[in-house]
Amino acid sequence: MKSAIFILCCMVSLGYAFQALSRPVSYPGGWTVMQKNDKNVHSVHLHYSPTARYSVGYRTEYWRDEGWQFQGVQFNYLVKRHNAQDSQANFYLKGGLGIAYDNFGLPNEEIEPASFIDIAVDWETRRYFTSYENRLYYAADIDRFFRQKARAGIAPYLGDYGDFHTWLMLQTDHIASEGNEVTFTPFVRIFKNEYMGEVGISNKGEVLFNLIIRF
Amino acid sequence: MKTLIIAIAFVAIFFTSPSHGADVEHKHEGQALEPSTSFSTEKASCENIINIKVNGLVCDFCARSLEKVFLKRDDVAGIKVDLSKSSVVVATKSGLTIDDTSLKNLIKDSGYNVTTIDRGCKDE
Repeated sequence: MKSAIFILCCMVSLGYAFQALSRPVSYPGGWTVMQKNDKNVHSVHLHYSPTARYSVGYRTEYWRDEGWQFQGVQFNYLVKRHNAQDSQANFYLKGGLGIAYDNFGLPNEEIEPASFIDIAVDWETRRYFTSYENRLYYAADIDRFFRQKARAGIAPYLGDYGDFHTWLMLQTDHIASEGNEVTFTPFVRIFKNEYMGEVGISNKGEVLFNLIIRF
Repeated sequence: MKTLIIAIAFVAIFFTSPSHGADVEHKHEGQALEPSTSFSTEKASCENIINIKVNGLVCDFCARSLEKVFLKRDDVAGIKVDLSKSSVVVATKSGLTIDDTSLKNLIKDSGYNVTTIDRGCKDE
Protein backbone atom coordinates (compact mmCIF):
# COMPACT_ATOMS: atom_id res chain seq x y z
CA MET A 1 0.00 0.00 0.00
CA LYS A 2 2.90 2.35 0.76
CA SER A 3 4.23 1.67 -2.72
CA ALA A 4 0.90 2.53 -4.29
CA ILE A 5 0.68 5.79 -2.37
CA PHE A 6 4.24 6.67 -3.30
CA ILE A 7 3.54 6.07 -7.00
CA LEU A 8 0.27 7.98 -6.83
CA CYS A 9 1.87 11.03 -5.21
CA CYS A 10 4.72 11.07 -7.70
CA MET A 11 2.39 10.77 -10.68
CA VAL A 12 0.21 13.62 -9.55
CA SER A 13 3.07 15.92 -8.68
CA LEU A 14 5.17 15.18 -11.73
CA GLY A 15 2.54 14.63 -14.32
CA TYR A 16 0.84 17.94 -14.05
CA ALA A 17 3.87 20.02 -13.22
CA PHE A 18 6.31 18.98 -15.92
CA GLN A 19 6.99 17.70 -19.37
CA ALA A 20 10.26 15.81 -19.51
CA LEU A 21 12.39 13.39 -21.52
CA SER A 22 14.16 10.10 -21.14
CA ARG A 23 17.77 10.84 -21.90
CA PRO A 24 20.13 11.55 -19.02
CA VAL A 25 21.41 14.50 -21.03
CA SER A 26 18.96 16.73 -22.85
CA TYR A 27 19.20 19.67 -25.22
CA PRO A 28 20.67 22.97 -23.94
CA GLY A 29 18.21 24.48 -21.51
CA GLY A 30 16.14 21.31 -21.32
CA TRP A 31 14.67 19.85 -18.17
CA THR A 32 14.03 16.16 -17.61
CA VAL A 33 12.03 14.22 -15.09
CA MET A 34 12.30 10.45 -14.75
CA GLN A 35 10.14 8.61 -12.27
CA LYS A 36 10.88 4.89 -12.03
CA ASN A 37 9.64 1.99 -9.94
CA ASP A 38 10.66 -1.64 -10.01
CA LYS A 39 11.05 -4.51 -7.59
CA ASN A 40 14.05 -2.90 -5.93
CA VAL A 41 13.66 0.83 -5.89
CA HIS A 42 11.40 3.84 -6.37
CA SER A 43 13.28 6.81 -7.78
CA VAL A 44 12.77 10.32 -9.07
CA HIS A 45 15.45 12.12 -11.03
CA LEU A 46 15.06 15.73 -12.11
CA HIS A 47 17.86 17.21 -14.16
CA TYR A 48 18.79 20.26 -16.19
CA SER A 49 21.13 20.30 -19.18
CA PRO A 50 23.18 23.49 -19.57
CA THR A 51 24.66 22.02 -22.76
CA ALA A 52 23.97 18.98 -24.91
CA ARG A 53 26.96 17.31 -23.27
CA TYR A 54 26.07 17.09 -19.59
CA SER A 55 23.30 17.55 -17.06
CA VAL A 56 23.04 18.13 -13.34
CA GLY A 57 20.10 17.32 -11.17
CA TYR A 58 18.51 16.04 -8.02
CA ARG A 59 17.90 12.38 -7.26
CA THR A 60 15.84 10.71 -4.58
CA GLU A 61 15.49 6.96 -4.13
CA TYR A 62 13.73 4.59 -1.80
CA TRP A 63 15.12 1.06 -1.67
CA ARG A 64 12.13 -1.06 -0.86
CA ASP A 65 13.50 -4.21 0.71
CA GLU A 66 16.17 -2.56 2.80
CA GLY A 67 13.99 0.45 3.59
CA TRP A 68 16.64 3.15 3.20
CA GLN A 69 16.56 6.33 1.17
CA PHE A 70 19.01 8.37 -0.86
CA GLN A 71 18.88 12.11 -1.44
CA GLY A 72 21.54 13.78 -3.50
CA VAL A 73 22.81 15.42 -6.64
CA GLN A 74 23.51 13.55 -9.86
CA PHE A 75 25.82 14.45 -12.72
CA ASN A 76 25.34 12.90 -16.18
CA TYR A 77 27.90 13.18 -18.95
CA LEU A 78 27.49 12.16 -22.58
CA VAL A 79 30.86 10.66 -23.44
CA LYS A 80 30.02 9.71 -27.00
CA ARG A 81 27.04 9.71 -29.33
CA HIS A 82 27.24 7.94 -32.66
CA ASN A 83 24.61 8.89 -35.20
CA ALA A 84 24.31 6.63 -38.22
CA GLN A 85 21.77 6.82 -41.00
CA ASP A 86 19.41 4.34 -39.39
CA SER A 87 20.62 4.12 -35.80
CA GLN A 88 21.92 5.98 -32.81
CA ALA A 89 24.25 4.84 -30.03
CA ASN A 90 25.09 6.60 -26.77
CA PHE A 91 27.65 6.19 -24.03
CA TYR A 92 27.06 7.96 -20.73
CA LEU A 93 28.86 8.29 -17.42
CA LYS A 94 26.85 9.20 -14.35
CA GLY A 95 27.70 9.93 -10.77
CA GLY A 96 25.76 10.76 -7.64
CA LEU A 97 26.67 12.19 -4.26
CA GLY A 98 24.43 12.70 -1.26
CA ILE A 99 23.21 11.14 1.94
CA ALA A 100 21.59 7.83 2.74
CA TYR A 101 19.36 7.45 5.73
CA ASP A 102 17.76 4.45 7.31
CA ASN A 103 15.07 4.27 9.99
CA PHE A 104 14.62 8.01 9.69
CA GLY A 105 13.17 9.54 12.87
CA LEU A 106 13.55 6.36 14.88
CA PRO A 107 15.96 5.72 17.78
CA ASN A 108 18.11 3.53 15.55
CA GLU A 109 18.28 6.13 12.79
CA GLU A 110 21.33 5.98 10.54
CA ILE A 111 22.57 8.76 8.28
CA GLU A 112 25.61 8.13 6.12
CA PRO A 113 27.29 9.74 3.12
CA ALA A 114 26.45 7.92 -0.09
CA SER A 115 27.66 7.94 -3.67
CA PHE A 116 27.40 5.97 -6.88
CA ILE A 117 28.99 5.76 -10.28
CA ASP A 118 27.22 4.51 -13.33
CA ILE A 119 28.01 3.51 -16.90
CA ALA A 120 25.21 3.40 -19.47
CA VAL A 121 25.21 2.50 -23.15
CA ASP A 122 22.37 2.15 -25.62
CA TRP A 123 21.81 1.48 -29.29
CA GLU A 124 18.59 1.81 -31.17
CA THR A 125 16.99 1.87 -34.57
CA ARG A 126 13.37 2.60 -35.34
CA ARG A 127 12.68 -1.13 -34.91
CA TYR A 128 15.14 -2.38 -32.27
CA PHE A 129 16.43 -1.10 -28.94
CA THR A 130 19.16 -2.40 -26.63
CA SER A 131 20.77 -0.88 -23.56
CA TYR A 132 23.01 -1.78 -20.67
CA GLU A 133 23.60 0.10 -17.44
CA ASN A 134 25.46 -0.67 -14.26
CA ARG A 135 25.82 1.11 -10.96
CA LEU A 136 28.31 0.78 -8.12
CA TYR A 137 26.66 2.04 -4.95
CA TYR A 138 28.31 2.96 -1.69
CA ALA A 139 26.24 3.99 1.32
CA ALA A 140 28.72 3.27 4.13
CA ASP A 141 27.18 0.97 6.74
CA ILE A 142 23.69 1.18 5.27
CA ASP A 143 24.27 -0.61 1.98
CA ARG A 144 26.86 -1.34 -0.71
CA PHE A 145 26.16 -3.15 -3.94
CA PHE A 146 26.72 -3.48 -7.66
CA ARG A 147 23.66 -3.45 -9.91
CA GLN A 148 23.36 -4.22 -13.62
CA LYS A 149 20.42 -3.74 -15.92
CA ALA A 150 20.05 -4.71 -19.57
CA ARG A 151 17.16 -4.06 -21.90
CA ALA A 152 16.12 -5.23 -25.34
CA GLY A 153 13.05 -4.28 -27.29
CA ILE A 154 11.27 -4.38 -30.59
CA ALA A 155 8.68 -2.07 -32.10
CA PRO A 156 5.83 -4.16 -33.58
CA TYR A 157 5.05 -1.31 -35.98
CA LEU A 158 6.90 1.80 -37.12
CA GLY A 159 4.99 4.91 -36.22
CA ASP A 160 5.53 8.26 -37.82
CA TYR A 161 6.48 11.39 -35.94
CA GLY A 162 3.62 12.28 -33.60
CA ASP A 163 2.02 8.84 -33.68
CA PHE A 164 1.32 6.66 -30.68
CA HIS A 165 4.35 4.37 -30.38
CA THR A 166 4.49 0.94 -28.76
CA TRP A 167 7.50 -1.18 -27.88
CA LEU A 168 7.64 -4.71 -26.48
CA MET A 169 10.64 -4.98 -24.20
CA LEU A 170 12.48 -7.19 -21.75
CA GLN A 171 14.52 -5.95 -18.79
CA THR A 172 17.05 -8.07 -16.95
CA ASP A 173 18.24 -7.01 -13.50
CA HIS A 174 21.10 -8.32 -11.44
CA ILE A 175 22.27 -7.14 -8.04
CA ALA A 176 25.48 -8.75 -6.87
CA SER A 177 24.64 -8.47 -3.18
CA GLU A 178 21.43 -10.45 -3.62
CA GLY A 179 23.10 -13.78 -4.25
CA ASN A 180 23.55 -13.16 -7.96
CA GLU A 181 19.83 -13.41 -8.46
CA VAL A 182 18.63 -12.38 -11.91
CA THR A 183 15.18 -10.91 -12.51
CA PHE A 184 13.42 -10.78 -15.87
CA THR A 185 10.74 -8.18 -16.50
CA PRO A 186 8.81 -8.12 -19.75
CA PHE A 187 7.12 -4.78 -20.19
CA VAL A 188 5.39 -2.52 -22.66
CA ARG A 189 6.74 0.91 -23.48
CA ILE A 190 4.34 3.43 -24.93
CA PHE A 191 4.90 7.02 -25.87
CA LYS A 192 3.35 9.89 -27.72
CA ASN A 193 4.86 13.33 -28.05
CA GLU A 194 6.60 14.19 -24.77
CA TYR A 195 4.98 11.45 -22.69
CA MET A 196 6.44 7.99 -22.16
CA GLY A 197 5.21 5.23 -19.90
CA GLU A 198 6.47 1.71 -19.19
CA VAL A 199 4.45 -0.98 -17.43
CA GLY A 200 5.43 -4.59 -16.80
CA ILE A 201 5.57 -7.45 -14.31
CA SER A 202 8.70 -9.39 -13.44
CA ASN A 203 9.03 -13.16 -13.23
CA LYS A 204 8.77 -12.68 -9.46
CA GLY A 205 5.46 -10.88 -9.76
CA GLU A 206 6.82 -7.40 -9.04
CA VAL A 207 5.45 -4.43 -10.93
CA LEU A 208 7.62 -2.19 -13.08
CA PHE A 209 6.23 1.25 -13.73
CA ASN A 210 8.18 4.14 -15.19
CA LEU A 211 7.04 7.53 -16.34
CA ILE A 212 9.15 9.94 -18.31
CA ILE A 213 7.94 13.31 -19.46
CA ARG A 214 9.85 15.81 -21.49
CA PHE A 215 9.83 19.55 -21.15
CA MET B 1 -2.07 -5.79 -8.28
CA LYS B 2 -3.43 -2.55 -6.81
CA THR B 3 -0.18 -0.86 -7.70
CA LEU B 4 -0.49 -2.05 -11.29
CA ILE B 5 -4.05 -0.77 -11.58
CA ILE B 6 -3.06 2.62 -10.21
CA ALA B 7 -0.08 2.79 -12.55
CA ILE B 8 -2.19 1.98 -15.62
CA ALA B 9 -4.82 4.50 -14.53
CA PHE B 10 -2.26 7.27 -14.36
CA VAL B 11 -0.81 6.43 -17.75
CA ALA B 12 -4.32 6.74 -19.13
CA ILE B 13 -4.80 10.07 -17.37
CA PHE B 14 -1.59 11.47 -18.80
CA PHE B 15 -2.45 10.51 -22.35
CA THR B 16 -5.93 11.96 -22.08
CA SER B 17 -4.92 15.14 -20.28
CA PRO B 18 -6.43 18.27 -21.94
CA SER B 19 -3.04 19.97 -21.89
CA HIS B 20 -1.40 17.02 -23.63
CA GLY B 21 0.16 18.08 -26.93
CA ALA B 22 -1.42 21.52 -26.90
CA ASP B 23 1.47 23.62 -25.73
CA VAL B 24 3.19 24.07 -29.07
CA GLU B 25 0.15 25.55 -30.76
CA HIS B 26 -0.51 27.93 -27.91
CA LYS B 27 3.07 29.07 -27.62
CA HIS B 28 3.10 30.85 -30.95
CA GLU B 29 -0.41 32.08 -31.45
CA GLY B 30 -0.87 34.81 -33.99
CA GLN B 31 1.99 33.94 -36.28
CA ALA B 32 1.51 33.55 -40.01
CA LEU B 33 2.78 29.98 -40.01
CA GLU B 34 1.60 27.37 -37.64
CA PRO B 35 4.74 26.78 -35.58
CA SER B 36 4.38 23.08 -35.03
CA THR B 37 5.29 19.79 -36.58
CA SER B 38 2.11 19.93 -38.63
CA PHE B 39 2.93 23.15 -40.47
CA SER B 40 2.46 23.06 -44.22
CA THR B 41 5.36 24.03 -46.42
CA GLU B 42 2.78 25.30 -48.89
CA LYS B 43 2.00 28.14 -46.50
CA ALA B 44 5.61 29.27 -46.47
CA SER B 45 7.48 30.94 -49.26
CA CYS B 46 10.00 28.61 -50.86
CA GLU B 47 12.81 30.95 -49.94
CA ASN B 48 11.99 30.33 -46.28
CA ILE B 49 12.13 26.54 -46.49
CA ILE B 50 15.22 24.63 -45.37
CA ASN B 51 15.42 20.86 -45.93
CA ILE B 52 17.88 19.11 -43.64
CA LYS B 53 18.87 15.45 -43.76
CA VAL B 54 20.19 14.13 -40.48
CA ASN B 55 21.75 10.98 -39.07
CA GLY B 56 20.49 9.32 -35.92
CA LEU B 57 16.85 10.30 -36.28
CA VAL B 58 15.29 7.04 -35.11
CA CYS B 59 13.18 7.90 -32.07
CA ASP B 60 10.07 10.09 -32.01
CA PHE B 61 10.37 10.73 -28.29
CA CYS B 62 14.01 11.84 -28.55
CA ALA B 63 13.36 13.91 -31.68
CA ARG B 64 11.12 16.20 -29.66
CA SER B 65 14.34 18.03 -28.85
CA LEU B 66 14.33 19.34 -32.43
CA GLU B 67 11.08 21.16 -31.79
CA LYS B 68 12.31 22.45 -28.45
CA VAL B 69 15.57 23.77 -29.89
CA PHE B 70 14.22 25.30 -33.09
CA LEU B 71 10.91 26.68 -31.92
CA LYS B 72 12.42 28.79 -29.19
CA ARG B 73 14.16 30.85 -31.87
CA ASP B 74 12.50 34.04 -33.06
CA ASP B 75 13.45 33.40 -36.69
CA VAL B 76 11.77 29.99 -36.95
CA ALA B 77 8.16 29.80 -38.04
CA GLY B 78 7.76 26.04 -37.99
CA ILE B 79 9.44 22.66 -38.12
CA LYS B 80 8.45 19.33 -39.58
CA VAL B 81 10.17 16.07 -38.67
CA ASP B 82 9.97 12.94 -40.84
CA LEU B 83 11.44 9.84 -39.21
CA SER B 84 11.07 7.63 -42.29
CA LYS B 85 13.05 10.07 -44.44
CA SER B 86 15.47 11.12 -41.68
CA SER B 87 14.63 14.68 -42.55
CA VAL B 88 13.82 17.92 -40.83
CA VAL B 89 12.12 20.77 -42.70
CA VAL B 90 12.48 24.18 -41.12
CA ALA B 91 10.45 27.21 -42.18
CA THR B 92 11.88 30.56 -41.25
CA LYS B 93 9.86 33.71 -40.88
CA SER B 94 9.59 35.99 -43.89
CA GLY B 95 12.82 37.84 -44.61
CA LEU B 96 14.82 35.79 -42.12
CA THR B 97 17.19 32.89 -42.63
CA ILE B 98 19.56 30.63 -40.68
CA ASP B 99 23.06 29.98 -41.97
CA ASP B 100 24.41 26.45 -42.42
CA THR B 101 26.80 26.63 -39.47
CA SER B 102 24.01 27.64 -37.12
CA LEU B 103 21.77 24.91 -38.50
CA LYS B 104 24.44 22.28 -37.90
CA ASN B 105 24.91 23.50 -34.34
CA LEU B 106 21.18 23.50 -33.69
CA ILE B 107 20.85 19.96 -35.03
CA LYS B 108 23.82 18.86 -32.95
CA ASP B 109 22.31 20.43 -29.83
CA SER B 110 19.19 18.41 -30.60
CA GLY B 111 21.24 15.21 -30.61
CA TYR B 112 21.82 14.58 -34.31
CA ASN B 113 24.26 15.20 -37.16
CA VAL B 114 23.54 17.00 -40.41
CA THR B 115 24.28 15.16 -43.62
CA THR B 116 22.86 17.62 -46.18
CA ILE B 117 21.16 21.01 -46.22
CA ASP B 118 19.01 22.11 -49.18
CA ARG B 119 17.09 25.32 -49.40
CA GLY B 120 13.80 25.91 -51.17
CA CYS B 121 10.71 23.85 -51.94
CA LYS B 122 11.19 20.24 -52.92
CA ASP B 123 8.92 18.18 -55.12
CA GLU B 124 7.70 15.17 -53.16
